[in-house]
Order: sequence, then C-alpha cells, then structure tokens
Amino acid sequence: MSSTTATTGTAVHADRVVVRTAERVLAGPVTFTATHGTTVGLRGPSGCGKSTLLRALVGLLPPGLAVEGELHVLGRRLDGAGSLSTLRASAGLVGQSPVVFPGSVLDNALFGLRHVVRAPKAALRERAVAALAEAGLWQEVRDRLDSPAEQLSVGQRQRLCLARALALDPQLLLLDEPTSALDAGSRDVVEASVQGLRGRRTVLLVSHDTGQVARLCDEVVDLG
Amino acid sequence: MPTLSVAGGGATALGALLVVGFVVAGLAAGDVDWVRLLTTRSWDAPNGAFGVTAMLWGTVAVCVIALGLAVPVGWAAATALSEQLPPQLARPLRTGVELLAAVPSIVYGLVGVAVVRPFVSSAGDVPGGDSLLAAGLVLAVMVLPTIVAVSVDALAAVPVATREAALALGLTRREVIRSAVLPLARPGMRAAVLLGLARALGETIAVFLVIGRADGRLPDPAGALSSLLAPGQTLTTKLGGPEPVLAGAVGDHRAALSAVALLLLLAVAGATLAGSRRGRVRCVARIRRAGRYRLATDRTATWLRFAAVALALALLAGVVALLLGRGGSALSPAFWVTDATGSSGGGVRGQIAGTVLLVLTAAVVALPAGLGLGLLLGEYAGPRATRALRTATLTLGGVPTILLGLAGYAFFSTFLGWGKSWLAGALVLAIVAIPVVALTTAARLDQHAPARREAALALGLRRSQVVRSVLLPHARPAVLTGLLLGLARAAGETAPLLFTATVFAGAAAVPTGIVQQPVQALPTHIFALAQDAADPAALASAWGSAVVLVVLAGLLLLAAVPARRRLEASS
Repeated sequence: MSSTTATTGTAVHADRVVVRTAERVLAGPVTFTATHGTTVGLRGPSGCGKSTLLRALVGLLPPGLAVEGELHVLGRRLDGAGSLSTLRASAGLVGQSPVVFPGSVLDNALFGLRHVVRAPKAALRERAVAALAEAGLWQEVRDRLDSPAEQLSVGQRQRLCLARALALDPQLLLLDEPTSALDAGSRDVVEASVQGLRGRRTVLLVSHDTGQVARLCDEVVDLG
Repeated sequence: MPTLSVAGGGATALGALLVVGFVVAGLAAGDVDWVRLLTTRSWDAPNGAFGVTAMLWGTVAVCVIALGLAVPVGWAAATALSEQLPPQLARPLRTGVELLAAVPSIVYGLVGVAVVRPFVSSAGDVPGGDSLLAAGLVLAVMVLPTIVAVSVDALAAVPVATREAALALGLTRREVIRSAVLPLARPGMRAAVLLGLARALGETIAVFLVIGRADGRLPDPAGALSSLLAPGQTLTTKLGGPEPVLAGAVGDHRAALSAVALLLLLAVAGATLAGSRRGRVRCVARIRRAGRYRLATDRTATWLRFAAVALALALLAGVVALLLGRGGSALSPAFWVTDATGSSGGGVRGQIAGTVLLVLTAAVVALPAGLGLGLLLGEYAGPRATRALRTATLTLGGVPTILLGLAGYAFFSTFLGWGKSWLAGALVLAIVAIPVVALTTAARLDQHAPARREAALALGLRRSQVVRSVLLPHARPAVLTGLLLGLARAAGETAPLLFTATVFAGAAAVPTGIVQQPVQALPTHIFALAQDAADPAALASAWGSAVVLVVLAGLLLLAAVPARRRLEASS
C-alpha cells in the first residue's frame, strides 16, 4: 500500500536511544535493529521503560519527555521532517488495555481506515473484514458487526484493537503487553494471531512474560 | 477546530480584560490614597472622604455569620446524606439540595425581604429589620446548598473499599466516618467552604435588599454584637448602588470605587482559587481510646446529623412554600401572557420575552466560545498554558457578577455608546455562562479521553481528525450539560443586567437595533419590585415573577438531567 521503503532491510534502528525527563532517564540506553519481517521482543522488568520506548518510536510520548540518540523508524529519523500521522498509520501501536471507541464493532475496525485511506466505502469494509480475520476475530463477530463494541469481552476487544491497526496494512506493528489484561484462553488466541503475522510484518513485542517472548519472537532485546 | 479554540480563548480573554480593564481604567482616573482608604471609616463622596473600613467590617461580619451557621449544618447534613441515610432516600434529597443551589439569588433576596427582615425586626427590636444580621442569615440560607452539594461529592469520592476495610475491623459507623472517611474527604469539604465563601463574598443582590446600605458604620468596642443588629454596607452593596454609574463619579471618586472593586475581586478570586485547588490528602488517623459509651455517642452524633438534614429540608420546603403561597398570581395563565401595567399591576409577558431573548443570545455566544475554550483547556494547550488558562477560567467564573455588570456598563454602554442595550446584557450573561461550559467540557475531556486520543493518534489520525472524530463526540453531552447549567445560572442573574440592559417599563417587545434598545427582564423586575416592599401589590407581583423565573430556570436544569444521565451512561 503506502510502502515508501522496501520490504526488505531495516524497519527499526535504535542506537543508544534514551527517553528521559529533564531530571531522570525513563528508558534505555538501548541499541537494536529490527529487520523487516521479523518479530523482535523487548523484555525487561516492570518500570524499565518498555512501553515508554514503544511510544517514543511513533512520537506518542507525553509532554516533557525527550528522546536522545539515533532512532530510525521505517526509514525516517524520528526527529526529521514528515508527518507523524503518516508514520503512525504505517506503524500500528496496540496498547496494553484495549481502548474501543463508542460505536459498533465494524465502526471500530473501520476507524483508522476511514480517516487515513481514501477509497470507496465497500473497499474499506472489505479491508476491515480482512483485518478482523487476520486478528482471529472474524468468526466471533461476523454476526454482530453492528452491535456496540463495548459489549465484546476484554480478549475480543484486544483483538479488535489489533484488527483496527492491521486494517491500515502497517509495515510495523508495536504491541505493548498485548495479553497482560487477558485470561489464558484469550491469550492463546491473541498469540496465535501474532504468530500468523510472522514473516509478513515486522512486529515489536513488549512483554514481561519471558515464555511469551520465547514463543513468539525471532530475536530478543533486553532492557533495564 | 483550532480556530474555534482560539476564538474561545479570545472570548475569555476579552471577558477577563473587560473586568481588569474596568478596574485599571478606574484606578487610573484619579488618585487612590490606599492607606487612608483602608483606615478611614467614613465614605463621603462630596467631601472627598473615601474609607472602606466600614464596608470591610460589613463584609467580614455577614460572611462570618453566614459560614458560621451554614458550615456546621452543611457538613453534618452532607455526612448524613452520603454515609447514613439509605440511598433511596438520600438520592432525591441530594437532587433537592442541588435544585436549591440553583435558585436565583434574587429569590433569596425576596425571602430575605419577606421573612428574614421581619424576623430580625421583631426578635432584635430593629426598626425595619435591615441589618448585618439579616444579610448574614440570608447568605447562610443561600450558601448552605452549595456547601452540602460540594461536600457530598467529596464524601462520595471516598472509595467503598476504605469503608469496608474499616468496618471489617469492628469500628462503629461513627468511628468509620470519623477515622476512615472524613480524613479522606476533608480537603474536598474544606473546598466546599471556600466556594461557599466565594459565593457569599460576591453576592450583591440578596444582600442589597436587606442590609440597609448605611455607610460608615463600625461597631463600638463595647457593642460589637449590637452593631450586627444595625444597618451596614458591604463591598458588593456599595458597588451595587447607584454611585458607580452616576455621571458625577469621576476622578478620585471613581478611583476609590475601583479600589473597592479591586479589593472585592482579590478576595473572591483568592477564595475561588483556594477552593478549586486539589488539596493533598493527609490521612491522619484519629486514634482514640475505646470509650465505654461508644454506642451511645454513636447514636447522638447520628441524631445531630439527621437534625441537620431536617433543617436543610425545612429550608427547601420553606422556600417552595413561600414561592407557591405568595406567588399565587403566577398560577393564573393571564399573568404569563399580559403585559405589566403601572408600578405593580398586570403580568410579566414583556419580562419573559426579554429574559428569553437575553438567554438565547447568550447561548449563541457562549456555546462556541465555551466549547472552544474547553477544547483549548483539554486538548490544544500545553501543560503550563493549561494551568494558567484554567486559573483564568476559574477566576472569571468566580468574578462577582456585579463587577461584570459594571465592566459591561463601562465598555458597552458608555465606551461603545450602546446605552442600555439587550445585546450588552446578553454578552455579559454569556461571560457568566462561558466558564461553566468550558470547565465541564475540559473535565469531560480529562476523563477517558486520553486513552482514546492516544489510540486514535496511533492509527495515524491527524490532530484535527482526532478532535472531530474522537474528542467532540465524547464531549458533546458535557458541552450540552454545561451550556444548560450555565444558562440556568445566567437566567437568574440580576446584577449584570441592572446597568447594562434592562428597564422597569416601556421597552419594546422586540428590540429593533442595538443602541438604546433596552428590554425588560424577570430578575431585574423582581429586584425593582422588592425594593418597594411597603406596597403589598408590588411584593405579590414580585413573588409571582419569582415563580415564573424559577420555573424557567428549572426547565433549563431539567433539560440538563437527561443529558447528564447519558453522560454518565456512556462513560
């Protein structure tokens, strides 16, 4: 789709990256490279700044926090020119606890598409449905696409957030503890969806669950 | 959307500038001898004597009386409502108290004229009853609902788990309240007092009607208490009188009046800001030795609290009974649809039309400006700018409305040459409503919105798209609620309209322009009639008009209830 970089090569390159406030360091220093198509795990104890680092990759840090060091995401320097929205659309971040927007299941799957992609409604819907399937949610919601998304279970909502990001056909997926709010069954389903992305998309996975990192990732970066 | 925000910020800045400009320009008009001003008791404009000590004494005295009565009763009633009464009973009572808090202050002024003044007159042997005591009593009744409502909110915010944990340790109900609940709720309950104080300090109209407005009265050292039974003056009633708008109030006279305005502004802003600060909770557990009469004390405290609730309810019932009993003329439809005649006859059709026109115009201005400012507070401004803007908005929301009225008079009526104009009144009323809309909107955006905002940004939406697709739909019910609450408040305001927009009689039904196009309005109509308290027909007409005003403001509040329910359901 909006591929501006080749699908081979480097998706993320971080060289001695530090996230800090004026007073103290919140994350890093960390150095790693994520090659396209691989799944890279960021591992470390709670509070070592894993989530902060993930947000730094797409410029979603709260005000007052600054990034130091070299950071290239999808071929562009983060402090360089260009719109952050474009970067964010091609680097989907899925947060720790699922945030659904008021509206139906389909509304949520379409949410990013409707704003970012110019295409006929039917085409958008097709992409949303494909994304729901890729996130492993289609079978469960095909009959209730028009019911409020808030009625889904937490595990389903988390996969809906994943689908919402996948619908934009991102080159890079940033998953921030995607299963920490879920029970074991839902966790397995989400893990299976992530596993299905392997080789096709670059995934950065933040987790404190060493077993999960071992199951899903090609490479592991230790933080803190 | 950024344009809207800038417009909203601009409107607020203009509102603030209006008040500050009025004070500064006034101070610059002549010399203020601050030392003499603050140490002299007599105010004698023709002879150039300008002293405010008597007004300061009056202000302090009425505020102390008001808070001294309202705080213990308010806190006790709030504790009973939140902690001890069954929810099925407490919920309607809470609504009743909130309604009482929204009754326009002119109605409390009428209550003062009809009940408090005669009571003080007979009890204290004060001719007429005009006195600091009467003013303090009226203010006590007026600020009680505010104190109860804000305190109940503070108590309700204490987590259920805290209470359960304390109960599980075997504490009695009173001990739980004392040791677990109150320490956590105390900062909020203290804020309730400060907000009540801000309201008492800034109130003009209700005090104006019962205080006697006598300059230069200070208590003798021997008889401080007896001076409470004599007429006096406060900072607000001085400004509410005719002096500030007299053509002769120039030079040093105008400067001295502006100094009074500045003192008032500083006092109210201080109380408002201190009351809105989110206090840090210091949980100092009070550990007491278990007494032998634990259960007996428990019962006594409970009965005292129930008595406080009963007193608050009696006041509510009393106000309603007065409105229905004396405002009987409003029960006939003719009163609503005929024009006023003479000094006290006829109906209030013109006044209703004027009030509706003023409120609708204020809504047209306050909606975009308040929404824009709310977005600015909740989304566009950085953290430091947000804090500064928040402070400014809170202060503007707390500015005594008499100052807004005087500033509006100076700017619209005099400087722009509009004279008495409906538009000047509507714009000043909009300034009353804008902070309410903005703060409700911003509070809604602070709650839940950050997570959705981040989720939307992470999908690559631009900021304008986030505002349009996420934040606005999220904030819409809050904007509506804030607008209705703000308008309900604006509809009952008297002081801003006195000098800017209204006449007692003779205004055209529909204004045809801006310059010299006054209207008639309900609050100022009641105010004018209430000053003619010796005439029973005038008083009856005032009560009838009060019923109409309460019904109109109540309709706005009732309309806000479903909006608020949707707000709570969708969060």
